[in-house]
Amino acid sequence: MRALRIALSQGALFADTRAALAAAGFATDALDDGSRRLVIATGDVEFVLARPSDVPTHVAHGAADVGIVGKDVLLESDADVLELVDLRYGRCRFVVAAPAGSVDRSLDEYRHLGSLEVATKYPRVTERHFQGRGIQIEIIKLGGSVELAPQVGLADWIVDLVSTGRTLKENKLAVIEEIAVCTARLIANRVSYARDRERIASLAEKLEAWAAR
Amino acid sequence: MKGALPRGFRDILPTEARELHAIERTLMTAFAQHGYVPLEPPTVEFAEGAVTVDERRTLRFLDRDGRLLALRPDVTTAVARVVAQRYREADAALRLAYFTPIFREEASMHGSEREYDQAGVELIGDPRLRADAEVIALLADALARCGLLGTAIDIGHVGYVDGFVAELPDSARDAARTAARAGDLVGTVALARAGGMSASRIAALERGLRHRSTDLAGPRAGAPDSSLRALDTLDALRPLLEAAGVRGAFGFDLGYIPALPYYTGIVFQVTVADLGFPIATGGRYDGLLAKFGADRAATGFGIAIPHLHQALVAGGWQAQAESPLLVLAAHDDDATTLRVATALRAAGIAVVIGEIAETAGQDVRRARVIDDANLEYEGAARTLDAVITALTGDRSR
Repeated sequence: MRALRIALSQGALFADTRAALAAAGFATDALDDGSRRLVIATGDVEFVLARPSDVPTHVAHGAADVGIVGKDVLLESDADVLELVDLRYGRCRFVVAAPAGSVDRSLDEYRHLGSLEVATKYPRVTERHFQGRGIQIEIIKLGGSVELAPQVGLADWIVDLVSTGRTLKENKLAVIEEIAVCTARLIANRVSYARDRERIASLAEKLEAWAAR
Repeated sequence: MKGALPRGFRDILPTEARELHAIERTLMTAFAQHGYVPLEPPTVEFAEGAVTVDERRTLRFLDRDGRLLALRPDVTTAVARVVAQRYREADAALRLAYFTPIFREEASMHGSEREYDQAGVELIGDPRLRADAEVIALLADALARCGLLGTAIDIGHVGYVDGFVAELPDSARDAARTAARAGDLVGTVALARAGGMSASRIAALERGLRHRSTDLAGPRAGAPDSSLRALDTLDALRPLLEAAGVRGAFGFDLGYIPALPYYTGIVFQVTVADLGFPIATGGRYDGLLAKFGADRAATGFGIAIPHLHQALVAGGWQAQAESPLLVLAAHDDDATTLRVATALRAAGIAVVIGEIAETAGQDVRRARVIDDANLEYEGAARTLDAVITALTGDRSR
């Protein structure tokens, strides 16, 4: 039988992902041998190490059968994948934030000018959220340090991913609204889930049991 | 920009075009043998006519009358219109087949085509289970005739998950349905829990979503009545599929929920190993035609021809040649060459004179004209009749 190919997000989720896989009975030693290999075969699985935002793409195209990735990445991606298990780690929140004490002023401006400028690294999540609220915005897409934007007059508000909220506080930003709470997810390719149901469902159950511990 | 094409469009070059034509002939022959007659809808529809595809995924433009038009995003819309306009009063079942390009808007940089061939059938006006079995068996037969190996048919019923979702309060119901169609099983279960579904029901739903087997006893425990009726339907389908010749690789997959919202009953997809997208999808859509003013039961399927072609080629398949192509080296006298070529063609042999730049993967043989009655073929002088026998013999082999 062909190896089950599992795409893993490198970066913040990686340590917890390794622990989850070890608890589910996988040999994960090969994952921390310090090498730069991106495809690691061990037993009857093959791990693919990818940038988090690429994991849904790998899985949607069937390049990997399953993957572990944050819900934040899934919300920003429009990849057609199945979300099977909430792994409950990597918790963070999508929030709308504005300079503390200036919310009233920016709402006044919104009434006056008819549109708000919102800086973000996550244009899809931002657009969907404000469309749902019926608020007209202009999105300013940035590559990083979004919390800088209101301070230098680049945008009125920001939409960003926060875990502790410290960065927001240090930049004198206050949360106006929470858009979504995000945790790591086990995702699967639709065809792989149909064809390889036993292995994937068993993996899902093991990870579910580990997450609920 | 010289020679460039808009993103998502491409030239289908001769080798692939021949292969696609071979697939088309095989599929349309299979459809015809089950009594499906061809329908050829126009390339352009009114944009508001499209109901099965998200409007953002149609390729739209304005014509000179200021009407918003769309390139045909699927064939189901055309079928629905034709049924409503021309077969509204028909009592008997209508069986239509098609093989045609469809057009979808795709986000850029997803490696997706905006034009591709789709083949399929629609069976209109038969609400019975036998009709569901008929189209599934036809799909299996048509793909087998193409030589596709290692297929699995995944059969589900949208009523199974819907039975659970229907018990939720109004506010949670639509969100849970949307999540299930989007493949967000975590969200579906979370919304069910938030909507007050009992722990035993939730456990049953989770078991069901992971269930894939020919046996349906497991998912019965703890399921609501209407979900049990969906399981009864699937149980009743099994012997019909077997009677219709569908053997082996089909399984009942209660976690298979198509993304399209219009399915009302049995749904199915065909997959092969090592291809991340289904080859074909289909199912029952009894409510859809009512939107066009013809309330008829309907079921059918669509085959994504690029995926089928990709899977066939990956399995070492080659388009069957009708006959070898004979490349004829010319005689000094053009009239002699033309007479020999004409005689060979009259005998049913494909002939081309002079070297060719594109063989399109055909079985190519070579011969040189010696005189009106003799050719050099396979290293020896042969009579015209001997060459004809050699080549037409190849064909019957």
